[in-house]
Amino acid sequence: MPKWIVAVLGLLAIAAARAEEVTLDLGERLTARAEYRPGRPELPAVLLLHGFLQTQDSPTVHQLTDNLGTEGYTVLAPTLSLDVPARRQSLACEAIHTHTLEDALREIGAWVAWLKARHPRIVLLGHSFGSVELLAYVQQHPDKAIRKLIGVSIIEGRYRAGEDARRRKIAELRGLASSAGRPAVVRQQFSFCRQIQGTPQSLLSYLQWSPERILGAARSVHTATTFIVGSRDDLMGPAWIGRLRQTGARVVVIEGANHFMKGEHEFNLLDSVLDELKALP
Amino acid sequence: MKPVKVTHLSFAYIALVALLALGLGLYTWVQIGQRAEQIREEERTQARREIADALQAIQAKLRTSAKALAEWDETRQQLAYDEYYPLWRDQRVKASGLIPGSIAAVGLYHPGGGILSRDNPGHMPEALPARAPAALVVKEQGRDWLYHFFPIYADPGREQLLGYGGLKFDFLAEMASIRQFRYADPGRLQSDLPENTPMRFEDALAHLRYGTQANEGLAALHGLLRDFQVRMALLYVAGLAVAAWLLSRFVVAPLRRLSADIDALRETGAKAADAPAPLEPLIVWELENARRSFRDYHARLSDLRSDLERSSRDFFDQARQDALTGVYNRRAYDEDRQALAQDRRHELCALILFDCDHFKAINDTYGHEVGDTVIRAIAHCLQGALRDQDRLYRLGGDEFATLLPDMDEKSALAIAERCQEHVMRHDFRQYGVGEPIGISIGLAQAGAELPLAELQKQADLAMYAAKRPGQRKIVVYEERLGGVSALLANDKITAVYQAIRDPFLIEFRYQPVKRLPGLETAYVEALARINTQDTIIRPPDIFPVVQARRLDAEFDQAVIQAVQRDLEFKRIPEGLGLSINLSVPGLLNPKVVDMMIALSQAYPESRILVEITETAFIEHMDLATQQIQRLRAAGCAIALDDFGSGYSSLRHLASMPVDIVKFDIDLVRLLHAGDARQRRVAQDIARMVASVGYGMVAEGIETQELLDQVLALGFSHAQGYYFDPPG
Repeated sequence: MPKWIVAVLGLLAIAAARAEEVTLDLGERLTARAEYRPGRPELPAVLLLHGFLQTQDSPTVHQLTDNLGTEGYTVLAPTLSLDVPARRQSLACEAIHTHTLEDALREIGAWVAWLKARHPRIVLLGHSFGSVELLAYVQQHPDKAIRKLIGVSIIEGRYRAGEDARRRKIAELRGLASSAGRPAVVRQQFSFCRQIQGTPQSLLSYLQWSPERILGAARSVHTATTFIVGSRDDLMGPAWIGRLRQTGARVVVIEGANHFMKGEHEFNLLDSVLDELKALP
Repeated sequence: MKPVKVTHLSFAYIALVALLALGLGLYTWVQIGQRAEQIREEERTQARREIADALQAIQAKLRTSAKALAEWDETRQQLAYDEYYPLWRDQRVKASGLIPGSIAAVGLYHPGGGILSRDNPGHMPEALPARAPAALVVKEQGRDWLYHFFPIYADPGREQLLGYGGLKFDFLAEMASIRQFRYADPGRLQSDLPENTPMRFEDALAHLRYGTQANEGLAALHGLLRDFQVRMALLYVAGLAVAAWLLSRFVVAPLRRLSADIDALRETGAKAADAPAPLEPLIVWELENARRSFRDYHARLSDLRSDLERSSRDFFDQARQDALTGVYNRRAYDEDRQALAQDRRHELCALILFDCDHFKAINDTYGHEVGDTVIRAIAHCLQGALRDQDRLYRLGGDEFATLLPDMDEKSALAIAERCQEHVMRHDFRQYGVGEPIGISIGLAQAGAELPLAELQKQADLAMYAAKRPGQRKIVVYEERLGGVSALLANDKITAVYQAIRDPFLIEFRYQPVKRLPGLETAYVEALARINTQDTIIRPPDIFPVVQARRLDAEFDQAVIQAVQRDLEFKRIPEGLGLSINLSVPGLLNPKVVDMMIALSQAYPESRILVEITETAFIEHMDLATQQIQRLRAAGCAIALDDFGSGYSSLRHLASMPVDIVKFDIDLVRLLHAGDARQRRVAQDIARMVASVGYGMVAEGIETQELLDQVLALGFSHAQGYYFDPPG
C-alpha cells in the first residue's frame, strides 16, 4: 500500500477522533449543538455556518469542515437551533417557523464567544444564507478577534415576486407582527421554499435582508471580507458577482462551480478558502 | 345348504353393493367431516397466531412511530415552543408522514405529565396515565383505544428529558388493518376489556375475541365433495339399476329360461325328441352353449337310455331264453306260471311236460355236441308242433314244458300227441345217433280250483308214469297216479340226494342166490337201502325217486362205491360172487361202467355179476351191447333181470350178450299159481332159455314146492325168502 495512502488514512483517523459535539444551552429549554474540531493553535479558528434551514451536516459545510480540520485548522460548525432543541435535521419549509434572524445572530454571538474563549483569531466562514447571517453579525457586532469573513455563494433570502412585492410583503408582515396576541402563521414563497410557513416576525426577519441590504452591509463592515462564488451559480443572476465586487470586498470566482460547489469544485473551494486563511497575517 | 334362486341372489347382490356403497359414502362423509374439523382447528390456531402476530406488529409499529416522532425536530420544537402546538398536532404531524395515517390522535406532554394544550380534540388523556410511558388499551364508551406514551429527549444520550409523546389508535381497527389475515376474521374482532380500565398492551390478547374467516376453499371443496357424493350416489343408483337390468337381462332371465328348459326336458322324460324346442337362443353365449350342450347331453342320455332299455329288454329276453334251443327257459316258465296263477281270467290250464328218454346215456355216449344237437332238434320239433301262441320252455337238461291256458284235456292231449309225432318223425340219425329218440309226455289239466303248483306235481307224476317201462309215452294225470306222490315225499328225496353225496349212507342186504340143485350159495345180490340217522329207506322208496329225478346213473355210482366199502371191510364172505343191479341209464353211462370194471379188477376174488333189465336192449341195443361187452371183457358176468315182467322180447333173447337170465318173480309164480296154460307158457319159456345156454335164476322162491318145480325146469339158481327169510 503506498505510503501516502497510509498517511491520509492516518490523518483522517486523527481528525475523526478529534471531532466532538458541543452543546450550548441557550435558555428557555433551547440547546444548540455544533461540531467542534480543534486544530493547531497557531492557525486561526474557523466558525463555519450552514445555509438557510440547513445543518452542519449539509454537504458543502460538512466537506469544508473535514477538509479544514484535515488542514489543521480549528473548526466549529454549529447548527442553528431555529427554536428546536438540539436540532439535528434540516427544518422543513412546511414546519412552523418561529425563529428569526435576530435569534440566529444571538446564537452566532454565543458560538463566537464560545470560540473566542479558546482561540484569539477567528475567521467566519458562511455558506449561502449563512454568509448573510455572518455578514449581519459582523455588521452588528464588530470584533477584532474576527479577522475575516468568507462568504461562499452568498445569497439573500430570495423573494421571487420582485423587489416591489418584497416591500409590500414586508409591510404586510410588519402589520401582522405588530398585531396583538399570537399572530397567525403565514405561508409564502421564500428562498428555495415554494411555500414556507411561519410567524410574521420570522419571515419578516429574513425577508428584510434584500440583495441591496446585503451589498450595503458588505460595503459597511470593517472586517476583511472575501466572497467566493461560482461562475455558474445562477440563483442570484449574472450581475451578482459584479455587484459584489463593487462593494470593495475581495471576490473569488470559481469557474464552472454552481451554488453548492459540487464535484471537483469542492477542491477549488477548499483551495480558495485555504488561500484566504493563509493570507491572514 | 338350501338352494337359493338366482333372483334372490341377484337381489342380495344388488342390496349388498348398495349397502357397501352407502357405507363407503357415509364413511367418506364422516372422514371429510373429521378432516374439516381438523382444518378448522388448525385455522383457529393459525388465527390466534395471526392475532398475536398482529399485536406484535402493532407493538413494533408503535415503537417505530414513537421513535420517529420523538426524534423529529419539530416534535422537540413543540416541547420548547408550544405556541403553535395545535397547528403542529393537526397538520404537521400528519403531513410529516412519520406516523401512520390510522392514528386517531397525537399528544405531547410536559415533563410533569400535563398535556401541552387544553385544546384536545383527539381526547388524549389530560395527563399521562400512571403506568406511562407504556402501551395501554382502554375501553372508552364502548370503543377500544390503544395508547402509546413515550419519552422525548433533547439529546441522543437521553439525559435531557423534554417531555412525553402520546399516540392514540383505534385498537380494533388497527388490529384489522395491521396485516392481512388469512385465518382470523377481522370483521368479528372485539374485546371484553372492562370499561375505562387501562390494560397493558401485552395483556390484550387474552381479552380479544375473534372468529375465523370462512374458509371459502374448504367450503368450496366441501361443496364439491358433497356434490361429488350426490353424483356418485346417483351414479351408484343408476349403475345398480343398470347392473340389475343387465343381471336380469343377461343372467337371471337366461338362467330361469335355462332352468325352465331343463324342467321341461325332465318332464318330457327320456324322449329327447319330445323336448320343447327353444323359442329363441339365450342371449348369453355361454348359457346358450350350456343349454345346447345340455340338450345334446340329454339327447345322448335319452339315446343311451333307449339303448339301455333295448339292451335291458334284450337281457330280459335273453334271461328268459334258453341259449341252446332258443325257446323260453326255466325263469320264463316260472314267471309265466306265476302270472297265470295271478290271472283270474283263465279257468282252465293244461301243463304238458316233455322228457327225452335216456338222453343222459346219449349225451355220455355221443358227446355233448351231439347231445346239444339232439336237444335243439327236439325243441324244434316241439315248437313246430305247438300253436303260434304257445310257449315252449326248456326246464333243464332234456326236459321241456308248455302251458296251455284255457285248454281242455282233450285238446291238450291232441297237442301232446302231435308233439310226440313230430319227434318220432324226426330223423336223428343225421346227428350220428343210431338209437331211436323218443320222448315221454306227462299231461295235467287244472280247473279254476286247482293251484298251479299242484298242476306241476300232477304233470310230474304223469311224466313219471310215462317213463315207466311198458307204459304209454303219453300219460294224462289221473287219480290213481296220486299214490306215487307219496314216493316223492320230501324225506325220501332228501335221503336219495344225501346218499348220492355220501355213499356211506347206503347199506346192503346181501340176499343169497343158491346154486341148484345143491342149494349152496353161489353169490349174493346186493339189495341197497339208505340208512339215515332217523330211518331206513328201502328199495321200494328209493328207486321211484331215483327214476323220477333221473338220478339212475348217480345212484348207481354211489352203490358201486358202497359195495367197494363193504368189500374193503370184508362184509361179504370171500369166495362168493356179488350181484349188483345197474339201471338202464347206469349201463349206458360209461363212467358207471368204468367204475364197475375197476371194482371187479380191484377185487378179483369176488366175481362181479351185473344185473340189468331188458329195457336197455330194447331201446338202446347197440350202446347197451357195447357196454356189456366191456363189462364181460373185464370179467364181469351179466344177468338179465326181471325177465318176463316187461317186453320179454323173444327176438332179442337169442342175441342178448348175457350170461344169466333172471326170471321175474311174477313169471316164477305162474309155475305154481297160474292156470295150466300159464304154467305151460312159463315152463316152455324156461326150457327155451335153458336151451339157448343161458344160466337161469328163479326169483321169489318161497316154498319147497316152488323150488322143486324150478329144479325140474332146469333152473341153475334160485333165490327168495325160502332161503333168506326177511328179518
